[in-house]
Amino acid sequence: MAAAAKTRGEDRVAIYRLGLWLFMGSESFLFLALLFSRFYLQGVQRPAELNQPLGLVISIVLLLSSLSAYRGETCAVYGDQAGFRRNILVTIGLGFLFLVGVGIEWSEGFHFFPPSTGFGTVFFTLTGFHAFHVLTGVLALAAVLVRGRKVQYGPGSYWAVEGAVKYWHFVDVAWVFIYPTLYLVS
Amino acid sequence: MRTLLSLGLLKGVIAGLAGTAVGMALTMVVRSALGYPAWQPDQVTLAGTLVGIPAYLAGVGAFSAWWGWVLGKGIEEPGGHHFWGWTRYFGADPNHKVIGIQYMATSLVVIAVAGIYQLIARLETSQPGLQFLSPDTYNSLMSLHGIMMLGAVLLGVSGMINYLVPLMIGARDMAFPRLNAFSYWITVPAVFLLLFALPAGGFDTGWTGYPPLSTKAPLGMQLMILAFYLVGWSSILGGVNFLATIMKMRAPGMGLFRMPIFVWTALATAFLQIVFTQFVGIAFLMVLLQRVLGLGFFDPAKGGNVLLFQHLFWLYSHPAVYIFVLPGLGVISEIVPVFSRKPLFGYRLVALSSFGIALQGAIVWGHHMFTAGIEEWLRIPFMVTTMLVAVPTGVKIFSWLATMWHGKISLDTPMLFALTAIAVFLVGGLTGIPNGIVPTDLYIHDTYWVVAHFHHTLFGGFVFPAMAAIYFWFPKVTGRLLNRGLGKLHWALMTVGFFVTYEPMFWLGLNGMRRRIADYDPALGLGPMNTVVSVAAYVIALSMLVFFVNLVASAWRGTRAPANPWRSRTLEWQLSSPPPEHNFPTPPQVLGSPYGFGIPGSVHAVVTPAGGAGEEKGGLGRVSSG
Amino acid sequence: MRKHWIAVIALTIVGAALLALLFLKVPLVPAQAAKQAAQIDTLLTVQLALGGAIFALVMVFLVYSVIAFRRRPGDTDDGPPTEGNAALETVWTIIPLALVLSLATYGGIVLRDMLRPPPGQELVVKVNAMQFAWLFEYPQYGFTSPQLRMPVDQPVLLRLASRDVIHSFWVPEFRVKMDAVPGMEKHLRITPTVIGNYQVQCAELCGLLHWAMRAPVSVVDGAAFQQWIAEQRK
Repeated sequence: MAAAAKTRGEDRVAIYRLGLWLFMGSESFLFLALLFSRFYLQGVQRPAELNQPLGLVISIVLLLSSLSAYRGETCAVYGDQAGFRRNILVTIGLGFLFLVGVGIEWSEGFHFFPPSTGFGTVFFTLTGFHAFHVLTGVLALAAVLVRGRKVQYGPGSYWAVEGAVKYWHFVDVAWVFIYPTLYLVS
Repeated sequence: MRTLLSLGLLKGVIAGLAGTAVGMALTMVVRSALGYPAWQPDQVTLAGTLVGIPAYLAGVGAFSAWWGWVLGKGIEEPGGHHFWGWTRYFGADPNHKVIGIQYMATSLVVIAVAGIYQLIARLETSQPGLQFLSPDTYNSLMSLHGIMMLGAVLLGVSGMINYLVPLMIGARDMAFPRLNAFSYWITVPAVFLLLFALPAGGFDTGWTGYPPLSTKAPLGMQLMILAFYLVGWSSILGGVNFLATIMKMRAPGMGLFRMPIFVWTALATAFLQIVFTQFVGIAFLMVLLQRVLGLGFFDPAKGGNVLLFQHLFWLYSHPAVYIFVLPGLGVISEIVPVFSRKPLFGYRLVALSSFGIALQGAIVWGHHMFTAGIEEWLRIPFMVTTMLVAVPTGVKIFSWLATMWHGKISLDTPMLFALTAIAVFLVGGLTGIPNGIVPTDLYIHDTYWVVAHFHHTLFGGFVFPAMAAIYFWFPKVTGRLLNRGLGKLHWALMTVGFFVTYEPMFWLGLNGMRRRIADYDPALGLGPMNTVVSVAAYVIALSMLVFFVNLVASAWRGTRAPANPWRSRTLEWQLSSPPPEHNFPTPPQVLGSPYGFGIPGSVHAVVTPAGGAGEEKGGLGRVSSG
Repeated sequence: MRKHWIAVIALTIVGAALLALLFLKVPLVPAQAAKQAAQIDTLLTVQLALGGAIFALVMVFLVYSVIAFRRRPGDTDDGPPTEGNAALETVWTIIPLALVLSLATYGGIVLRDMLRPPPGQELVVKVNAMQFAWLFEYPQYGFTSPQLRMPVDQPVLLRLASRDVIHSFWVPEFRVKMDAVPGMEKHLRITPTVIGNYQVQCAELCGLLHWAMRAPVSVVDGAAFQQWIAEQRK
């Protein structure tokens, strides 16, 4: 396929990039629908039992992971395989830390606002969908990492890393909207 | 036997069934371990499908290339087997022409099944009184007819776009061939789920699945939701693929305003698929979550609101109507100039009107909820935005008429279907006005008027154009012509059958015939007209039978088709029939309009032949001999 | 050239007139039995006549072209290469726009009329919908009945509620309908104008016996209504 693309003068990376943007664009409508539902069903109500310190901590963890993901991508661009591997591993670790945090929040939530209540319905759905996206992001990063054992990333051949990291940023940005919607508005 | 076992489909089904069994067993074990009764239909089957569908996809081979990529292996180029080797069509193949045929064939199968469902249900309503169906069977058949037909239309749309768009824009293939195969293969389990829905108890909500009714419906509801979700994802990924293909893979010289109108409609369709499908996906997932885990989206006692579903649902399902009909309108725009031997009148405005329709369709969803109790003032803006669709659709219809005016019209089968489509779609549009104006909608909403109206738009916007498209492009796809006499018989039966089925429904609706009822009060006096409708519905079925016979017989023994039997100018006709495995080894050079009929010296494109396409006649796309 | 135009214009006028006649003369709708029904029927007739005219226009052009501009056998030339006409395209963009906007305005005016609370006392009926029955509560009189009975020419406010799933209140002779939505109360105003017996039917699919979810509705004169009230309260 690569050969055929070359003879036709296609810019494959530009096509991949457009495809990813379109996919993320579509996904953002999913989150838009969820955010809309939160306000439609619950207005700006939120229970006092929400664990505010934990929410803040996991938000910071996720933001930090975007930073390490960015560093990993930069390393890949310049062909620094060790730096790439280290930073992506850190990102995956932070991603798991975030998921653990959500897990703790869930176990408390089951107690204070179970999913069969108004706020619980909204809370568990929003965080659940987002956590699922974090998990897919972790899988994408892991796939890129595994591929990196066989394939050297470097100038002109870093699309795979760029794509996975872009998706990771997207998941991060989604949380930037979800966090205030659940934890801060009132 | 060995060939049979190598079929991706068979491997997929076996893996899928095994995966489903494992998923169900695991859930039941976990449930009993936690002290619940092992069997809870919704949870157990959901877990079964969650394991079964990935297992099925792995069996089909939809993941193998990606898995190889992750492991850093080179990806094997497909090919080597013959284009017409039948085994190819039963496995994951990345060639867009194979996938287009797979989509179209699946679509026709589903249309046949869904049609039979409604033919049975229709017999029940041909007289007042409960004849032979129980009310729950009636409800299930009617609901499945709706959702399966809509699924079939989505598949058909994907089929047409898949086959035609890369050829029309001079591309090698789709932008993402493996994603394309994946998009097709996730629709196959959806079809199986829908077929299982009837034995699993059916569902009694209609295709719209409004909660709270759908949160209490039998297991069939859940299978329908999962099927809807799979087809939805196929649609989103297909949309990404179509849009990337059209934006990035056009041949040199193919500016946006040199694209055939069908490609424009595909572009608008892809935009709608990408943006809006998520809304209906999440709406149905909410129903699923409420059914399986007891969340409270649509339960007023738990802070829910049943109107949330309707907003999310129609936010997709109104634009979805344009996903269904825009490609069909594109087909009409391709066929009318060819059989009138004139340029498409007002090309630019027609091209942009597709986007007009798409954008307008995004802001009208509330008109499905005029009687549902949305805020009373909100109905006015939705009424105004709804009315605006008359402008871009009017542009299309008037342009077709102006194209025919003083043309040299020949009534070949594709043209006959295209002209009927215009008439039917026009009636669909005009009878939509009373639906869009609030006071009259309060009268006719949820009656047979609405049923008649949307069958006009779907027949006029999809069924008749899709038939036109099949008669038009069948020679290109198979290298054989469809039988002319059978084609005209099909057209005549279908046209007569259609009008006699659906015009009386307007009257029935005005006189008290509600939608989706298994029986009605004899005192309403609607029996005789309902009998007429039922008989005519069987005439449509007969026409489809003629069509299927024609398809099979002509594919097998039809007259060999030349490369360009209709003397069209678009790129796909400049290749051999059927087209070569790889579309354009050298990219074609696009020089002008695809519709320059009669314009001296006008050339659409210069194509370097790959499969020995000969030049038919002057005034077509010129073919260089290099 | 000219003769084609004269022919299609003449045929369009004839076609539109025939369709208008059809819509006016053929009984398309059931009897009217409410003030709202008369307004809606007029609006519907206007829409049908206009739709008929547009249908006639398009179909006359289409069928006429097919007959007058048929390709002669053996003629393989192309037609005249007209690619467009800016003035004409503008006209067929603007005219439909004006038409539909005026229809929407007319519809809006009728709607405003229908929603406006009437002067004087309204009879309030609380309509309770459930799978698969209707119950009618008269809060001003303190009783509940399985049938809806209303005095003629008296404005009635229906307060619709549902106990389980979505239902929809529809009496074809009154034309208007409104859903009964669980967790909410929706309003519908009707002024019955003709004494007689009707039937309310559930118009929103509500499950197994949706088709059978009907209840009697009767419109009686004022005296008979008072007498019925007295009987019910006993």
